[in-house]
Amino acid sequence: MRAEAQRRRAFWQILLFSAGLLVLTVISAGSVYLVNKARSDNKWVLHTIEVENQVNALLLEVRRAESGARGYLLTQGADFKIDHDKAVAAIIPALDRLTRLSTDNPAQRDNIEKLSVAIETRLDQFAREMEFVRQGQPEKAMALVREAATADTTTTISSVASTMIREEERLFYLRSVNADHSQTLAASMTGIGSGLVVVLVLISIWLVRRSARSRDDAEARLRDANVNLETIVDERTADLREANNEIQRFAYIVSHDLRSPLVNIMGFTSELEELGGDIFRRVSGLTHVPADGPQLVPGAAGNIPLEGPDKQLSEDFSEALGFIKSSIAKMDRLISAILNLTREGRREFQPERIDTRELIEAIVSTLAHQAAEAQAEIHVEPLPDVVSDRLALEQIFSNLIDNAIKYLKSGVPGEIRIRGRTKLGYAIFELSDNGRGIDPRDHQRIFDLFRRAGTQDKPGQGIGLAHVRALVRRLGGTMSVSSELNAGSTFTITLPMNWNASNRKTDQ
Amino acid sequence: MTQPVTIIMIEDDEGHARLIERNIRRSGVNNEIIAFGNGTDAMMHLFGADGTGLKQKGNALLILLDLNLPDMTGIDILKQIKENKYLKASPVVVLTTTDDSQEIKRCYELGCNVYITKPVNYENFANAIRQLGLFFSVIQVPPAAT
Repeated sequence: MRAEAQRRRAFWQILLFSAGLLVLTVISAGSVYLVNKARSDNKWVLHTIEVENQVNALLLEVRRAESGARGYLLTQGADFKIDHDKAVAAIIPALDRLTRLSTDNPAQRDNIEKLSVAIETRLDQFAREMEFVRQGQPEKAMALVREAATADTTTTISSVASTMIREEERLFYLRSVNADHSQTLAASMTGIGSGLVVVLVLISIWLVRRSARSRDDAEARLRDANVNLETIVDERTADLREANNEIQRFAYIVSHDLRSPLVNIMGFTSELEELGGDIFRRVSGLTHVPADGPQLVPGAAGNIPLEGPDKQLSEDFSEALGFIKSSIAKMDRLISAILNLTREGRREFQPERIDTRELIEAIVSTLAHQAAEAQAEIHVEPLPDVVSDRLALEQIFSNLIDNAIKYLKSGVPGEIRIRGRTKLGYAIFELSDNGRGIDPRDHQRIFDLFRRAGTQDKPGQGIGLAHVRALVRRLGGTMSVSSELNAGSTFTITLPMNWNASNRKTDQ
Repeated sequence: MTQPVTIIMIEDDEGHARLIERNIRRSGVNNEIIAFGNGTDAMMHLFGADGTGLKQKGNALLILLDLNLPDMTGIDILKQIKENKYLKASPVVVLTTTDDSQEIKRCYELGCNVYITKPVNYENFANAIRQLGLFFSVIQVPPAAT
């Protein structure tokens, strides 16, 4: 559910971001396009004005040429002639420029053709007029002027020019409207885009605030959950400790109370044994008394051996008592073992800095005799120091080394190696041997109380490893074995480098 | 003044009581043995109805005490005996089934004179009791508290 909401939120944020990007892109592209359009529109407006100007300029030049010609005709003044020539010289370039400017517009091109024809005609007339004046035949020139007036060339020029100007004015109007339109479009586009961006930003802010709020909520929930978890863990730990203590007390009381009747059984069995001895002595004494013989001499009876069925009875009696006594002894050992374990379980650990190698070397030296008997060599490599309980460590390692010596392969020189390393605040000890090994099926079993594995040819109660594992656990460590039958064993013990008494004080 | 020592045996297990008595007798000790099966009766006998212990003033006692009693712990009895001015001079032999070093230490701290574990290995136990018999024969009856 929460993942769904998160996905939705992420989707919305991406969507918003994309939308914002899209709007910005569209605005940018649109603005570029519209600005370009406005620029070209304006260019066209300018162009129109230019064309108009050019037409007017052309007309002006024509008028100048005309008035110059007329002035010259009247006065034959050289000034007028120069003026006229200048105007005529300006007409052709002006016309050319106009033609160039109007190439885009077919209607104006027609007008320009008409205009050029008219202007050429007029120029021709001017040339002829001037020719006549120069040859001294002003009347011919005047006649020409009149002819020109009647031929209406000038009017044609004027009318064509004014048509052109009108056309350009129409274009001007159109193009202005277009340019206005483009500019309005650009402005509105920018406005709308900015508005959209602002809206998107607002939505984004809202979304971000919402997600921040939900994150804060989640954080608060997480904190609560953590606190709860800690409480639960504490409660469970307390329960477990309580249960553990209960078991310890139970084991203690049970084993203690079991011992009482056992003392009686053993005591009276011994009494019974003595009684039995007495009875059989008497029996033998009685059977050996001759019917008329002297009185039984007390004390002498015990020396007379039993015979026949009496001997058999005595032997059966002793055998039964022997079984009873050996069973009692075994039961007593088991009870003592349980008592010792519970006692160990209740002992307070005293953490101190321990030179592990020194500690193990000391154990090895106490076991040197057994090792020599088993032809075993023990190598102790450099080991990490730990802060832990000295007695517990001694018990752990002496049990393990003792086991290693005890269960070597007969006939093979033993080699026992103790290695150590550290990892993440833990010291890891490895104790390997080349002994008889343990069947993987028995790897769990060997750690159980009173359980043993393999050939039962060595004395033992099946307590050592159970005890070792209990100690390792109390020291906050773990223990494991890897072994194959006939291929040696390696016991790995992981202990915290700094065992802290405070986390165990409440145990007791 | 020679006064025969009376042995007070506080032991709830009849079998144990019988075994102890037999072994004491076997070691040649013939002193009177008064057996109690629970703490209350023993306390009544030792301290009297008024609980002062005046009743036992001047009596030579040797107390055999089991720590696990049905109605109170032997430790409590030991403590009270050793706090009572009339009784504190009487030797106390603690008999128990455990060999818990903490418990042994505690008993000696409280003033127990001998601590004997009741081992299942009967021979050892019998020997211990017999040695206790020797101990009785050399015991100096304490001067009665005044």
